[in-house]
Amino acid sequence: MNIQEYISSGITESYVLGLASDEERREFEKICAQYPEVLQARIAFELALEKQALENAINPTTELKDRIFERIGSTGKIVPLQDTSIKNTQPGALLWLKYAAAACVVLLAGSLYMNITLSNKNKKLKGSYDNTLAELNEVKKDIRVLQQNPNIKMASMKGMDISPKSYATVYWDTASHDVYLLANNLPAPPNDKQYQLWALLDGKPIDLGMLNYDLKQKKLLVRMKNAQGAEAFAITLENKGGNPTPQGAMYVMGKL
Amino acid sequence: MLQQRNEKAFSYLYDNYSGALYGIVNAVVTDKEVANDVLQNVFINIWRKIESYDASKGRLFTWMLNIARNAAIDELRSKGYNNALKNISLPEINEIEGAVTGPAIDDVGLKKVIGKLKGELRVLVDMSYFQGFTHEEIARSLDIPLGTVKTRIRSALTQLRTMIQ
Repeated sequence: MNIQEYISSGITESYVLGLASDEERREFEKICAQYPEVLQARIAFELALEKQALENAINPTTELKDRIFERIGSTGKIVPLQDTSIKNTQPGALLWLKYAAAACVVLLAGSLYMNITLSNKNKKLKGSYDNTLAELNEVKKDIRVLQQNPNIKMASMKGMDISPKSYATVYWDTASHDVYLLANNLPAPPNDKQYQLWALLDGKPIDLGMLNYDLKQKKLLVRMKNAQGAEAFAITLENKGGNPTPQGAMYVMGKL
Repeated sequence: MLQQRNEKAFSYLYDNYSGALYGIVNAVVTDKEVANDVLQNVFINIWRKIESYDASKGRLFTWMLNIARNAAIDELRSKGYNNALKNISLPEINEIEGAVTGPAIDDVGLKKVIGKLKGELRVLVDMSYFQGFTHEEIARSLDIPLGTVKTRIRSALTQLRTMIQ
């Protein structure tokens, strides 16, 4: 094929202006992919046409823009509208094109619906992920503060016979006397009960506060009451609100 | 970015190209209100179909221009397509040289450029591009061979190219 002849045959313009038949379009696209000079000719004509059209632009009113963007909406919702962009160029293909267009609209509607549903799901997941990440970062920060603080002493509290798998950790700042509790693993208490943390000094228990066992708002690391001195820590299961001295069963205990 | 239906990008697209597309719509449909409706449909279609735009097949503007032209022609056809055919009288076609009074051609944009084409070619391009008749329809209504319609339109288009470049 003589490419120069092909280029100057008017097919390029016919293709760009949308006047070529389906067969001519297919052929042109194939040749365009093969011969850079055809592609160049196409782009050159497209640019000339674009320039020409921009120079002869007729600006619509601003009301029209508002109207259009109102129809489009911010979510890309489907607007019931007659499909206008598929034009019949071959009379015999009209019916087929109509069905194809209808199918396209249905597919588009389905795809948009999926799009919106998935995007909403995605947003929810993203939200819960962000929350989790924020919590995790907070805990990491707390732990880093604790680890970097040379005054921090740690007591690993192991499960007692009543609940061997239970496990909790106390971080105690010997300088500021702050106490942090990490409830690694404690069974959910009955509704009328609550865990209570104790410091043990000279064999006497000192109340360090109640542990709110709320699954939804469970913070991993909880600040408890300050302890002036301690040799060991322990957690017991007490009636809600706690007791001045331990009455219930001891779940975990650990020495400093 | 556009293909992700970014509304800001779409707004930018509108600001830059609505005038050019409105120009082509107005060249096809003459009624202002109808042209407004068509332009609205054009942009809604662009918004909805942006994912199907294939950059390997042409520039974005070309794609939008064809959507605009097709939408305008569909509108035109829905309003008395058969009448339009009858309105073109044969004597105009037979004048090959010199100025002719063809179908009403406005003094703007691409229509103005096409107005510079010689009589017969101008009629053929106008029928084909601005009125959306297929080559077959033109051949039938003007009673000239299909091959002739095709070659003359092609020839008119190459002239058109030199005019706008």
